[in-house]
Amino acid sequence: MSVAWLSAPIVARGSLDPRGPVAGEIADLWWWMLAVAAVVFLAVLVLLGVSLRSRRTGERVARRLVVAGGVVMPAVVLTAVLVVSVATTNAIPFAAGPGALRVEVTGHQWWWEVRYPDHGFATANEIHLPVGRQVEFTLRSADVIHSFWVPQLGGKIDALPDHPNTLVLQADEPGEYRGVCAEFCGIQHAKMGLLVVAQPPDEFAAWLDAQARPAPPPEGRLPRRGAVVFGAAGCGMCHSVRGTDAAGARAPDLTHFGSRRTLAAAALPATGEHIRDWVADPQSIKEGALMEGADLGASDLAALVAYLEGLE
Amino acid sequence: MTDVREAPPPFDTPRLREVDTDEQLHELWDDPPGLWGKLRAVQNDAIGVRLLLTGFFFLILGGTVDSVVMRLQLAVPDNELVSPQLYSELFTNHGSVTMFLVILPIFEGFAILVLPLLLGTREMPFPRLGAFAYYTFLLGGLLYYSSTLFMLVPDTGWFAYTPLSGPEFSPDKAMDFWVLGLGVAEIGAIAAAIEIIISVLKTRAPGMTLARVPLFAWALLVTAFMILFAFTPVIVGSLLLELDRGFGMQFFDPERGGSSLLWQHLFWIFGHPEVYIQFLPAVGIVSMIVPVFARRRMVAYPWQVASLVAIGFLSFGLWAHHMFTVGLTPVVGSFFSAASIVIGVPAAVQIFAWIATIWGGRVRWKTPFLFVVGFVALFVLGGITGIMVASVPFDLQAHDSYFVVAHLHYVLIGGVAFPIFAGVYYWFPKFTGKMLDERLGRWNFWLLFVGTNVAFFPMHIVGLMGMPRRVYTYPAGLGWEVWNLISTIGVFIIVPGIGVFVWNVVRSWRRGEPAGHNPWGADTLEWATPSPPVAHAFSVPPVVGSRHPLWDQDDLHAGSPEVSQFVTALSQWPLKWRAVLVTRTGDAQPEEVFRVADPSIWPLVAAIGAVSIFVAELLKLRLGALVGLAIVVGAVIAWNWPERVEATEEEEEAFEREHGIPVRVGGSWVVARWAMGLVIMILGIAFGAFLLSYFYLQTANESWPPPGIDLPQPFWPAVAAVLVAGGGLAMLHAHRSIRVGRQAGLRTGLAGALAAGIVALVVQVLDFQGLGFGATEHAYGSIFYTLGGFALAVMSGGLIFGGLAAYWSVRPGFTARRHTPVTNLARYWAALVVIWIGGFGTLYVGPWVT
Repeated sequence: MSVAWLSAPIVARGSLDPRGPVAGEIADLWWWMLAVAAVVFLAVLVLLGVSLRSRRTGERVARRLVVAGGVVMPAVVLTAVLVVSVATTNAIPFAAGPGALRVEVTGHQWWWEVRYPDHGFATANEIHLPVGRQVEFTLRSADVIHSFWVPQLGGKIDALPDHPNTLVLQADEPGEYRGVCAEFCGIQHAKMGLLVVAQPPDEFAAWLDAQARPAPPPEGRLPRRGAVVFGAAGCGMCHSVRGTDAAGARAPDLTHFGSRRTLAAAALPATGEHIRDWVADPQSIKEGALMEGADLGASDLAALVAYLEGLE
Repeated sequence: MTDVREAPPPFDTPRLREVDTDEQLHELWDDPPGLWGKLRAVQNDAIGVRLLLTGFFFLILGGTVDSVVMRLQLAVPDNELVSPQLYSELFTNHGSVTMFLVILPIFEGFAILVLPLLLGTREMPFPRLGAFAYYTFLLGGLLYYSSTLFMLVPDTGWFAYTPLSGPEFSPDKAMDFWVLGLGVAEIGAIAAAIEIIISVLKTRAPGMTLARVPLFAWALLVTAFMILFAFTPVIVGSLLLELDRGFGMQFFDPERGGSSLLWQHLFWIFGHPEVYIQFLPAVGIVSMIVPVFARRRMVAYPWQVASLVAIGFLSFGLWAHHMFTVGLTPVVGSFFSAASIVIGVPAAVQIFAWIATIWGGRVRWKTPFLFVVGFVALFVLGGITGIMVASVPFDLQAHDSYFVVAHLHYVLIGGVAFPIFAGVYYWFPKFTGKMLDERLGRWNFWLLFVGTNVAFFPMHIVGLMGMPRRVYTYPAGLGWEVWNLISTIGVFIIVPGIGVFVWNVVRSWRRGEPAGHNPWGADTLEWATPSPPVAHAFSVPPVVGSRHPLWDQDDLHAGSPEVSQFVTALSQWPLKWRAVLVTRTGDAQPEEVFRVADPSIWPLVAAIGAVSIFVAELLKLRLGALVGLAIVVGAVIAWNWPERVEATEEEEEAFEREHGIPVRVGGSWVVARWAMGLVIMILGIAFGAFLLSYFYLQTANESWPPPGIDLPQPFWPAVAAVLVAGGGLAMLHAHRSIRVGRQAGLRTGLAGALAAGIVALVVQVLDFQGLGFGATEHAYGSIFYTLGGFALAVMSGGLIFGGLAAYWSVRPGFTARRHTPVTNLARYWAALVVIWIGGFGTLYVGPWVT
């Protein structure tokens, strides 16, 4: 399983490798604070080191040291930190401007439901964005508290069951950015990832068009048999495939599952082999996940995988 | 104020005077022998050592074993050493145990062990309360840990966020172990805090003015107040969570009018001060050690005290910085950000006061000092990253990432555990009479220092790279592997360090070098006693004339002629009951001599009763909970039952005439009132937490009461409130009467108050029964009956207490000189009136107004 990520075409370098203005502001703030912190830390250590070897001093000198180091120095440094920090806060948009793309993300144990309300479709665990355009995320939770975090694009925001939260992000460069759930949400919190795919506007528009369409009918003998297996195994109780009878709402929408790059909330790359393992025995990959394994023979399983891969 | 430029302290420090009554004092003060005697023991030495040993036991269990397994699991990506379920249990246990069952008991152990000696008194003011604190902590910890026996280990994190910890998502009993087991331990923390506050304020040696109080005692005083203000809300929060879990209420369910964030507020109002509750005693220990090993008086003592107090206050203004990601508005975020950053100032004052003190001194490199230097380095780093995460935008990235794990371990290991080790090396000789081995001490230090940096520094980096906390595994290929492996190696440097420590303690306890009475040439009173000290510590109470009595005083009993004569007299009389001297809060002039409690089995019984309530709730045996409650009430009554008074009022008055200091064998006028004051304060804080919950839920709902529930009708509750207020006046009359010895006024007052209280209780309960809504359909009903129930419970306590006072007013009878219970009852009743009227006013009138 581990090798999979090495081969996966995924770049994930965290908050200090920003690919958008929000993460960029915060990374700048960090480097500035690190520089200040390094100076303060070294200064204190040097003073401590000198004090350990020094001769005695008078009380007046000692008091001055306390006032200078304990009051003046922190007053100056901390005020600066606060000012720069508030300036960064102000530079980060808390509401989206006109023309922003709206995306609604709902946390579930342990996957992300993704809706594009202006385009009328839902997908899961994979969010496509146009480069250079603001995106307004509306975060909700269907169960417990989750937290939506794509370090290369910006900070995190909690997904609450009480009320929606808003997060405005923007990607400046095309690429794939890994996201995670940052609030402990139960046994599979570790495997509640997501993938953000930032695309040039025309590619994104094409993706939107494709996603908005209902699922293509299965082509070929094996996928057609797979569609039957899908229905017979009861997959449609929880999953939806638009354009078919499957209309479950408790699990990820599979209408264009075949176009998605990862599986099981970004736990695995979506290769045929992994899809088969996941469908046959999800508990061995994500113990405690709410999906039950399909008790199918090898040929039915192969047909089902072929059907799913064909949902492009 | 003494001058800093004095010559270095001499090593042949003064010792205490020995007197011919020592034998009798021994007999009087030693805890009784045998197992039965050990269970009844209340002496601070015994209780303090037990707290420390139990705290270290839990440290090794939950602090060390858990982290080794977790680090092994995370050593390589996609590891399958432990299951995800076990990993959730491990990190929940690790956080819960270290935050609730390790650091606090260790510091309370230090406090109870050291404070009486440090302050120059014979005993803590409420020895039985100290014993109760220990037993509740021990039994609560064991109840919590017993979850492993049933394979029901809590698994939702030490913060237990709702709704994950609620009945829907954690339906089994695992979280009940968490709520209930730790709930018992929290009660113990509060009991010990009461004891510590009154000890520091009221039982100091004559002459130990507030400006001469050792910084460790100052730190404990501030900490103890913080415990009252922090632990009370989390007990209220835990109660609400258990009402949701066990009784079907709706505090935290957004679909039924509850709020998932209410828990976060109640939890972090506790949770953030908790960090400083753990840190301030550590600061206190460091401030004791630095002057002794730098051989120089502490510089900027007033600044240090001011910093401690400032940190105490500020720490309550920044709980929401744990909630920057829940969607606060930028203004609210900036406010809490600024409040969090400001706390850097008092912290910096502390650090520079130590550096300045060391600067002027000549350092002796013994193990305690080594740990102090390591502490400064690690804590400064942890403090700096703390300032960073207080910045809202940066925290949006760092929050719940490994960066925070790194930060908090630098603060809690560097800032708290290192001073704890320093304190053990420092005070071990005093209480065992043996020195800890220096060579092992150095190994201990260097392994911990290197190990801590190796284990936790890489976590900063991997956190910035995007690794979230509380994950049981992580994929390869993200660049996290090497940092995680290094962290794991670090733990395997820390563990042998702790092993060396344990070995050093065990070995040195058995055959360490004899310590002598003052091996470090220290300055404070505990070092004037033999090592180990006798149970009553001071045959002749010391008289303090300096902040550093052992450095500055040739004679530890010299004071004004009256005071010297008075302390000498106290070594001769009384010898039949345990006398402790009370001094005035500010100038520490003698105020009163009172009798502290003897050994008793009732604290243990009360603790068992308290745990039984919680066990019964776990098993859903509601009748069993009532039995437990009855045990608690009975045991507390028995433990406070007036004992045979071994001195007549005439004897008291004779001593008072000779020395001008009143003697109160039949109950202190001073410390008992302080204790009642603190109890009222705790009730007030709890009441505040309930009110906060009420109004928070009100704002979370669009209509209040919710549709379908009528506005409450205030007529009968108003009648009840008038009765309660009338009862308060009757109680006042009772108290005024007994102060001048009028028995008839006392009895009519007590009878009137009790009658009014009972009728009010009945009227209110009847009104509750007529309301058309229950506690389980909507959060409105849940908070309505819970807040009302709190007022009814406070009234029930007042009625039980009042009934006892009525009985005692006949047997043994109160006099103008001996009537402490009546005074306390009158004050309790005054608080009761406020809570009753405020509580029911909110419930019945509030919705009409808003």
